[in-house]
Amino acid sequence: MAQFLLETVWLVPCYALIGGILAIPWSPGIIRRTGPRPAGYVNLVMTFLALAHSVLALQLTLNQPPHEVFIPWLSTAGLNLTITLDISSVSVGAMVIITGLNFLAQIFAIGYMEMDWGWGRFYSLLGLFEAGLCALALCNNLFFSYVILEVLTLGTYLLVGLWFSQPLVVTGARDAFLTKRVGDLFLLMGVLGLWTLSGTWNYTELADWAANTQVDPTMITLVGLALVAGPMGKCAQFPLHLWLDEAMEGPVPSTILRNSVVVASGAWVLIKLQPVLTLSPVVSSFIVAIGAVTAIGASLIAIAQIDIKRCLSYSVSAYMGLVFIAVGAQQDDAALLLVLTHAVAAALLVMSTGGIIWNGITQDVTLLGGLWTRRPMSGLAFIVGILGLIAFPPLGSFWALLKLADGLWGTSPWLVGIIIAINALTAVSLTREFCLIFGGKAKQMSERSPEVHWPMVLPMMILLGFVLHLPLVLQSLSLLPNWADLNKDVALLLIWSSIFGCSISAIIYLGNIPKPVRLPWKPLQDLLAYDFYTPKLYRMTIIFSVAQLSKFADMIDRFVVDGIVNLLGLFSLLGGEGLKYSTNGQTQFYAFTVLLGVGALCAWITWPFWGLQFLSLIF
Amino acid sequence: MQLQYFLLLAAALFCIGIYGLITSRNAVRVLMSIELLLNAVNLNLMAFSNFLDSILIKGQVFTVFVITVAAAEAAVGLAIVLAIYRNRDTVDMEQFNLLKW
Repeated sequence: MAQFLLETVWLVPCYALIGGILAIPWSPGIIRRTGPRPAGYVNLVMTFLALAHSVLALQLTLNQPPHEVFIPWLSTAGLNLTITLDISSVSVGAMVIITGLNFLAQIFAIGYMEMDWGWGRFYSLLGLFEAGLCALALCNNLFFSYVILEVLTLGTYLLVGLWFSQPLVVTGARDAFLTKRVGDLFLLMGVLGLWTLSGTWNYTELADWAANTQVDPTMITLVGLALVAGPMGKCAQFPLHLWLDEAMEGPVPSTILRNSVVVASGAWVLIKLQPVLTLSPVVSSFIVAIGAVTAIGASLIAIAQIDIKRCLSYSVSAYMGLVFIAVGAQQDDAALLLVLTHAVAAALLVMSTGGIIWNGITQDVTLLGGLWTRRPMSGLAFIVGILGLIAFPPLGSFWALLKLADGLWGTSPWLVGIIIAINALTAVSLTREFCLIFGGKAKQMSERSPEVHWPMVLPMMILLGFVLHLPLVLQSLSLLPNWADLNKDVALLLIWSSIFGCSISAIIYLGNIPKPVRLPWKPLQDLLAYDFYTPKLYRMTIIFSVAQLSKFADMIDRFVVDGIVNLLGLFSLLGGEGLKYSTNGQTQFYAFTVLLGVGALCAWITWPFWGLQFLSLIF
Repeated sequence: MQLQYFLLLAAALFCIGIYGLITSRNAVRVLMSIELLLNAVNLNLMAFSNFLDSILIKGQVFTVFVITVAAAEAAVGLAIVLAIYRNRDTVDMEQFNLLKW
């Protein structure tokens, strides 16, 4: 039985997919009598099945070497596309996280989407996401990872565009699709380029290949940059980060999943590709640079936001930037650990704020306040989420950040500085959000704000418990870095940066400083609040040039290509119109043309005899 | 006497007929020009008959036929001119340009 569960762990994505498909019939157009709720329940059951299966399988993988399952997919001349599944404790563990978070997000959605008719669409897309993410976790093949990433890009488009009657949702979904698509297309170039170099897409074989190969450094640099571009778009890294901001127009329960897991799907591929990326030092430093810039930029932007969901989404970009730094610095264990701890903490934060939004209506933090006494559950969840996200011992992210900083301490101390700075900045922004929502006096929008009902509190509390227990879980799996080997100075620095960030923020927002807080230099505040004016930047560069180019191509098509063909038609038309006047009705003219014709014909026939010969013929 | 001179005379007559055929505004003069053409042909036939076929004189036989046919053609032509004249009260060729484009 146990072995059977392990052998059939590839069924987990199938459960989710079946759940997604089963939810479709309760779309309002198909089953009209029951209402949409069964869609959610069916999906929940399937997700629970997937969760239970993966939890049971995880126990079996713990002390076993990873093994691979091969499923042939397509075999043509010279190309064998085999789906390779990697069944290891890491991949099954990732599936547990995905299914677990999705399970909680779906329970949350039962509460949150209570007044909504779109359950069929919503839950089927959640099922699709769960299936895609689980398949990505299992998949040990770059090509199929790419396939799944593209499916998830489409899923993001549909899920962000759930409430498509809102204009901002439509533009947000468009940007989310196109931005991620651009990254994915670069990734495709990298994937194809890598095949010609290595001849394999299997991650394990790629790692072997990378370990003992000599390739042209320029070539591997270009391929590596293309491979990074995909995760860059997926993980909302600079400069492909605007979509995550606009994706916050989607429903909150899907945001739980997106902030915690979906953005991490890019990081997952990046981590798996790390051996290949290491081949080129340029690529490694590029990853680190992108990660560092994003982490600093996004955590600064997060401080200047007034929208609850957007504060959190920029923190997600920042933490994914940390994952990039970790991968660029060859710390993939730390990267994986960070992805895990970030996922649960970020999900908890989004759940807590989702509950606030649900009956606070506004998402503007400057209109909220004083909820702590009335919303202790959400407040506690938010606090634990903050502590789980920043470096606060003994909660999860402390260990992840510590491991990362410790690994970087010897090689590049300035990166440790960046990590500490980001930790402090994230502490500032999250504490600011907490103080603005829960602290201070109640404002008009938050004067009567009851705690939300059980389907939203229950998953929040379960996740809160999990965030609190995460260090214990990690310890039991011996995933925590060994305390004795660690650099205590780094740990202290991290802790101090957290305390510093939290207390500064708390003093500013709970103290007597006049609100809203204004920076001494307003353009800087606006610059951060408007996300470095990224939409304008996109519009002035890429969108402008593509639009001009397409207008130009359209004009070429309309005037030159069409024009040439139309000119031919016009020419024959005018030819007919003009030449008809040769039939002028005068009989004598006809006689004249006959004579001309006969004369010309005679001249042509007698041409050889013209000249002196002709005269001598006559005379 | 040489054949060429007959032929050249006939050609000159033919060309004069052509000129009349194309430039005359009076329909009757057009018919007259046609007669000139036919007579130029007859001159040719007669010349060829005398100089090249003086035994069997097939050219002369041809000439007789051409004269006969030309008479019939002129009769029919005049009938057509009369028919047009009855309808349109004119024999001006430049008024007969109704069947154009």
